[in-house]
Order: sequence, then C-alpha cells, then structure tokens
Amino acid sequence: MSPLRDLLFHLCRLVIGAVFLYAGALKAGDVNAFAGSVAAYQLLPYNANLLVAAILPYIEIICGVLLVFNARVKPAALVLLLLNLVFIGALSWAIYRGLAIDCGCFNQDPNRTPTSPQAALLRDLALMVGILFAYGLAPAERPNRY
Amino acid sequence: MNNGFGRNTRFIEILLSALLIALVGGALGLAVHGPRLWQVLQGKTALLAVPAAPTPQIPTAEPVPQVPVAAEPAPVDLGELPALVAAGAVLVDARHGEDYRRGHLPGALSLPVGASEAELALFRQQYPTETTLITYCNGYDCPDSFNLALRLVAAGYHDVRVFEGGVPQWRDAGNPLEGEQP
Repeated sequence: MSPLRDLLFHLCRLVIGAVFLYAGALKAGDVNAFAGSVAAYQLLPYNANLLVAAILPYIEIICGVLLVFNARVKPAALVLLLLNLVFIGALSWAIYRGLAIDCGCFNQDPNRTPTSPQAALLRDLALMVGILFAYGLAPAERPNRY
Repeated sequence: MNNGFGRNTRFIEILLSALLIALVGGALGLAVHGPRLWQVLQGKTALLAVPAAPTPQIPTAEPVPQVPVAAEPAPVDLGELPALVAAGAVLVDARHGEDYRRGHLPGALSLPVGASEAELALFRQQYPTETTLITYCNGYDCPDSFNLALRLVAAGYHDVRVFEGGVPQWRDAGNPLEGEQP
C-alpha cells in the first residue's frame, strides 16, 4: 500500500473508531435516556426500544475498539456501515414525518443543545464516507488462498 | 485460479466476522442489562436502570421556585393507569401547551412544568390536594414530569405519581391520543 493510502486508511479507522467508541460509551452511560431517544423515532414498540438501547451501545464500543487497535477492521467497519445505514434510514423517516426530535446520538444530557434530524443526517453521511474509506482501504488480513 | 470465487469467500468470511462482532456486542449488552430488561418484560419496572437525580431546569420567564423534597413521587407503569384513572386519578401533562394541543393522553389536563404560581393556584382551586395526580411528558429523557410532580407535592398534594414512559410508551402500546394531530 502506498504511504498516502496507508495514511488515509489509518486516519479514517482512528477517527471513525474514536467517534463510535465515544458515542457508544455515552449511550451505555445513560441507557434510559438513550431508550427515550430511540422511542422518539416512533419506529419500534416499547420493549424493542429498550432492547436496542441495551445492546446497540456495546456493539458500537466493540467496533470502535477494534478499529482503534487495527484489528478485524473490515468486519468492524461492515457492522458500523450497516448500523449507519439504519441510522440514516431512521433519520430520513423522522424528517419525512416532520418529527421534532433531538438525535441524542452523541449527548444524552437533557440540557444539551438540540441536534436536528437534518444535522444528524448530514453528520451520519459524513461518517459513512469515513467508514467506506476504512473498509475499502483496509488490507486483507490473510493472503488470498485462490 | 478463480479470483471471483476467492473474493466471494473472502467477503463471506468478513460477513461472518461482522456477525460475530454484533453477537458479542449484543451478548455484552444483555449481560449488563439483561436482568433489568427481564424485569421490564415482566412488567415489574419500566426502566433499564435506576434514574439519576433530576437535572436543573432550563430557566423560564418566571423562575421555578426551589422546592424542598418532602416526598418523592412514585413511578407508575402503563398497566396501572386505567385502574388509577377509574379510581379518580387525574392525568397532568407537563409539556408545553403546543405539544399538549397536538396530542395528549385522553382526559389529561395541561399544566406545563414552567407554569406560573397563578396557574398552579388556579389548578389547586379546581383540584383539591386529596386528588391523586399522575404527571407525564415525553418519556424517559424528559425530566419535566418528575419536576412538575415535585412542584405539586410542594403545593400540598398528598398523592402525586409519575408515568415516566409518557406519550411514547402510551402511543407505542397502540393507545389513542386526543388533540389536533393525535
């Protein structure tokens, strides 16, 4: 891999890894508030909102750790890619329905400055670019057997 | 050499690793919150964790008086609401009037958490302090229902409870809302 490509890869995986590690830790720190944020999208029944709030932060944390430590980068990036697609879908749905919700993705403080669905959607699209670069530039972990 | 087959195999390996990562993350989440989640499914509690103390309110035009906590309002589950209302409890919507007008629980009254002392006094005239009140707002990340309950306790109400699931839990259960855009 060329030095520039190498640099771009490590930059993307470190930034994306750190972002999702931070976001996951925040959500895990206040699962009630995160459950409320999930419920605000009005997509899932009550118990499903709690189930998502219980497990999603830990998936983000594990993927973040893997990216930061340069282990299983492609699989971790794939998980984050799929999660981000779900987030983008949910935000698009909220915008379509005109729901006045605060994303709550990166800050569970009830006195936070609200993040509009539109701003959160743009942010997730930017993260998607980083995830795709991390996935695409990650070297194969084992040589091709064929 | 069949590079196409090799690429497919490689992608399947990545996919399986991704699935394993998701399963490990899910298992970790269930290990941390599973017991409490099980209690929620059984209807013994409505929350995944014991909530922290209510955060200070955002200042309004009329400052909300500092109220001493004489008695902590008790949470109520969705399943308890029908019986309480049938026994005479009054639902109180702690959200802004605009949110109330758009959609509120059937039969609920509007008393925003930042209501003036005059509005609270008028409310007390209509509903004696022996009335059981149940406050609610927009769910678990909204402290308004709890803070309004504290104001009502300080105003002399003996039995104030908080429906912490709020409008989201009510609507998710398939229950109707009243208002202009229910």
